[in-house]
Amino acid sequence: MSHVNPAPGRPALVSRRSFLAVSAAAAALGVSGCATSGSGGTTTLRFYEQKTEVIEYFGKLLRRFEKEQPGIRVVHDTTVAIAPQFVRGEPADVGCFNNNLELARYIKRGVLTDLSDLPSAARIRTDISDLTDQYATFPGRTSVLPYSLAAAGVIYNKRIFDELQLPVPETWSQFVDVCEELQRAGITPIYATDRDTWTLWQGLFDYSVGSLIDTGSFFRKMKELGTEVGPDAEVSFEKDFAVPMERAKTISTFFNPDHAVRSYADGNLAFGKGEAAMYFQGPWALSQIALVDPDLPIGTFALPVSEDPADRKARVNIDLGLWIPTQSRHQDEARELVEFLMRPDIIEAYNNDNLAYSTTEGAPPQQDERVAGLQPYIDDAAFYQGAGTFVPNSIPLGNYLQAAIRSGNFEAMLRKLDADWRRVAGRGATV
Amino acid sequence: MSDPAAPRGAARRRRLGGTNWPLTILLLLATLTVLAPLYVTLSMAFKTSEQAVDGEAFALPAPFNPQSFAVAWELTRFPVSFGISLAVAAITVVLTLFLSSLAAYAIVRNWDRRLFRWSLFYLLAALFLPFPVVALPQIQLTAMTGLDNPIGVGILHAMFQLSFSVLLYTAYLRSIPIELEESARIDGATTWQIFRRIILPLLGPMNATVGIFAFLASWNDFMLPSLITADPALQTLPVVQNIFQSQFGTNYNVAFASYLMAMAPTIIVYLIAQRWVISGITQGAVKH
Repeated sequence: MSHVNPAPGRPALVSRRSFLAVSAAAAALGVSGCATSGSGGTTTLRFYEQKTEVIEYFGKLLRRFEKEQPGIRVVHDTTVAIAPQFVRGEPADVGCFNNNLELARYIKRGVLTDLSDLPSAARIRTDISDLTDQYATFPGRTSVLPYSLAAAGVIYNKRIFDELQLPVPETWSQFVDVCEELQRAGITPIYATDRDTWTLWQGLFDYSVGSLIDTGSFFRKMKELGTEVGPDAEVSFEKDFAVPMERAKTISTFFNPDHAVRSYADGNLAFGKGEAAMYFQGPWALSQIALVDPDLPIGTFALPVSEDPADRKARVNIDLGLWIPTQSRHQDEARELVEFLMRPDIIEAYNNDNLAYSTTEGAPPQQDERVAGLQPYIDDAAFYQGAGTFVPNSIPLGNYLQAAIRSGNFEAMLRKLDADWRRVAGRGATV
Repeated sequence: MSDPAAPRGAARRRRLGGTNWPLTILLLLATLTVLAPLYVTLSMAFKTSEQAVDGEAFALPAPFNPQSFAVAWELTRFPVSFGISLAVAAITVVLTLFLSSLAAYAIVRNWDRRLFRWSLFYLLAALFLPFPVVALPQIQLTAMTGLDNPIGVGILHAMFQLSFSVLLYTAYLRSIPIELEESARIDGATTWQIFRRIILPLLGPMNATVGIFAFLASWNDFMLPSLITADPALQTLPVVQNIFQSQFGTNYNVAFASYLMAMAPTIIVYLIAQRWVISGITQGAVKH
């Protein structure tokens, strides 16, 4: 048809073979050695920390560390995804990351070194380091040093509470009374933001469950049971979460009427403008609320879900934990950096600045009055890690909650959670 | 290129008898869907952080605050990230244009051979491969070959553009009359000369189309560079801009200032390049 041979006697400008050779050479040009330590005997460390709000803060700390240790340069790695580094076989030398199910995978597979022999490890409160073990452990290792403990509860507008002379509720019935009072006064009791589903599970779900159930041991049993979870098993969502979800159902009747379409940003704006009395959020929302009204008087209390005030607990999470991968080629320098960050003055200043709590023994109390209400719970170790944080991402808990709030059928949701739990366990994907 | 579009347009309007109002109104509405968000982006970039979160997106900035641009410039290390983004996009566009036009030409002119026919089907099959599916092996492979850097990102972008671009080129090449090549062949031109002197110039409008698609895909991509590039200092703009947004808060005014600075070149590139997409360059190539 249309194929014509190159005219004989005239070499083609580029023969197929030379074209291939050139392409291969071009590909080879892309190959560059990986960056190792610079010249002049300085070691370069990579420090992985991607919590947006404190990137600058840690940047300053790293410069300070470099001044104290002239032989070490530290590069601040703020990449979003953590997995690629491990896949490449080039994880950062020191990691500073949220202690959650994702980090648990790395702990379980034993790719993080043992830090138990560091001097600073001895200063960490055992009731806080026990929290990391609830997600995953590696036999004989302390893989993560908890660095920052964030505590969350019910953020409330002190001005509204004072005007209506409402007490801070200490029991479940008092809490319901307060909500009904507020409704009678024409004020939205609780501002909820269903559109961002994470706000539902970290607030409504976790708070309702936390003070009634020991999440750590509940989920340990759930993991042991795996595919056996169900109404007849020792533990199950359907059985153990029935009462907490009744609470959640009652709480959801006090939401703002348009909660279904509101987002997290809407919530911060509305609460900052004083449009609601209470808000189920952690300290991370406070800086956003301060943008709207920096002078709004705010306090935090732990949500009571039983009739005994002593049952009240705060929801905590280890917002940042320090770890060193086994693959790091600069173990000693990495440990120097961990020790530097764990120094009392540095760890305490960080947590005080960021509305969190230090994980070490004898740390001074949190001064900020917006979160000071949770200090007693931290002191007494009356805290729990949210139930929602134990549920793997493959179970869309937030979406189930959306549906349950709309239909009021929380029992069906719990049955679904059990079924999903069995399925995930069957796939062997629970972490 | 002389552009006789204006007198011709006037003639057409006279023939059609005035403006087509329903269509004009429809197009005006369509324009609004682009202009409204653009206006919000612009005004948001000049607001203060306090005003940015007040829930009044359409309000004019008061007080006027150009500070956001300085902050964004600083935080994203704008010149560096911008340069890397541009380099990645350039590698992508050049590689895509070069490889896909050559491949398409070979395929179309050898359509009667099974190998060439099936290689097109093979390329088209890649359209069904989304990047996330092959992400992890790609990360490992790029690390092994030392391509876990912007160069590798550019090469990968070009590979992912291949299927679509070859599809566009082959369709277009079929419409180029074979007589052009035959006459060149008689004058003693080699295949390579024919491609360079005749085919490549004729591919003008398609080059622009393919180039624009490749550029936009590369310029706006977030996922691939964020996973492939190992050195955080060598990240492209969209990845760096992620610092303005987290689950727990968004720094709207600074983010929008940064987005504006990142958007400007794409808009300029499009304004310049779309002329070639729309105008017919092949006119007068063949004498009738």
